[in-house]
Amino acid sequence: MKKTILFLVLVVATGSLLAQRKTTTSATVSFDATTSLDALPKATNKTVIGAIDTKTGSVQFEANVKNFAFSNPTMQGHFNGEKWLKSDEFPKFTFKGNITDLSTVDFTKDGSYNTEVEGMLGIKGAEKKMKIPGTVVVKNTTLSVTSNFSIALADFGITGVPVDAGKVSKNPKITVVADFK
Amino acid sequence: MAKAKRPWLKRLLIAFLVLVGIGAAIYFYIALEKQPDTKNEKAAFTVNAIDFIREFENDDKTANKKYADKIIIVKGMVSEIEAVDTTVNIKFIDTTSGAYAIFDFQDQHAAEAKTARVGDFVSIKGSCSGGALSEILGVEFITFKRCTLNK
Repeated sequence: MKKTILFLVLVVATGSLLAQRKTTTSATVSFDATTSLDALPKATNKTVIGAIDTKTGSVQFEANVKNFAFSNPTMQGHFNGEKWLKSDEFPKFTFKGNITDLSTVDFTKDGSYNTEVEGMLGIKGAEKKMKIPGTVVVKNTTLSVTSNFSIALADFGITGVPVDAGKVSKNPKITVVADFK
Repeated sequence: MAKAKRPWLKRLLIAFLVLVGIGAAIYFYIALEKQPDTKNEKAAFTVNAIDFIREFENDDKTANKKYADKIIIVKGMVSEIEAVDTTVNIKFIDTTSGAYAIFDFQDQHAAEAKTARVGDFVSIKGSCSGGALSEILGVEFITFKRCTLNK
């Protein structure tokens, strides 16, 4: 009898712990490095993995670099190539961070909360500490997260003639949309 | 009279204009180039979903060399369908490990993807972006872009 009760307690406790961590495998990350000289360098990846822990405020994302889809095949090749992201050598973008003030978001109450996440963004083998603004919308048991920010390509060792010539923005805009369940 | 004295100038000008024309043609060809419709692309491999996922689980370095950046047809039973924007991603999952392959559809084929249901046996053709071990989920994940569905 004692063993049965202990088992049930463990099952409930495990379920509770798992419920704190919400994940997705279909988050969307878009980047827009277009300039007045070139409208081609922009792409979207709709298969990004994300996780958010509502108790600790931990936030993580990882994306397969090669799954950023460009409308232009030549631009797709340049993006993954040796001079740019070297995606064969550095296949993933990663982000690991925490909500800076967890009290700004009430995950138990429906609503829209503006917040900030601080963490390390990893691109092409380089990591940069960043503070990223975001909005969390809580509705029933689903969390919808959106974020818009910019990165500096130079922080990740991405340079070259197209950047210097103004054909690729030095500070691309990044948009993240994720529904966690 | 002056024209006859400097025929090279005229030739140089014509050569310059021809070069500018060629350069402009190449620029516009590249700038206006679009990704081909995957439906019309020839597949390098046709594979069973679970066998394909397990190849990556066993050795993703070798599997990436074999499949990444190639058009692949993957056949299997739809495990999950996830809403993304106005369209959906389809997943095949190896239930013994949790490893999965996920397919993002080309704009012109997004409506086809929405007709799929969990449990359907389907054939998906797309550009394989390769696989890796997810640090977040602890399972192998393989991603595809520009996909098209054959039910």
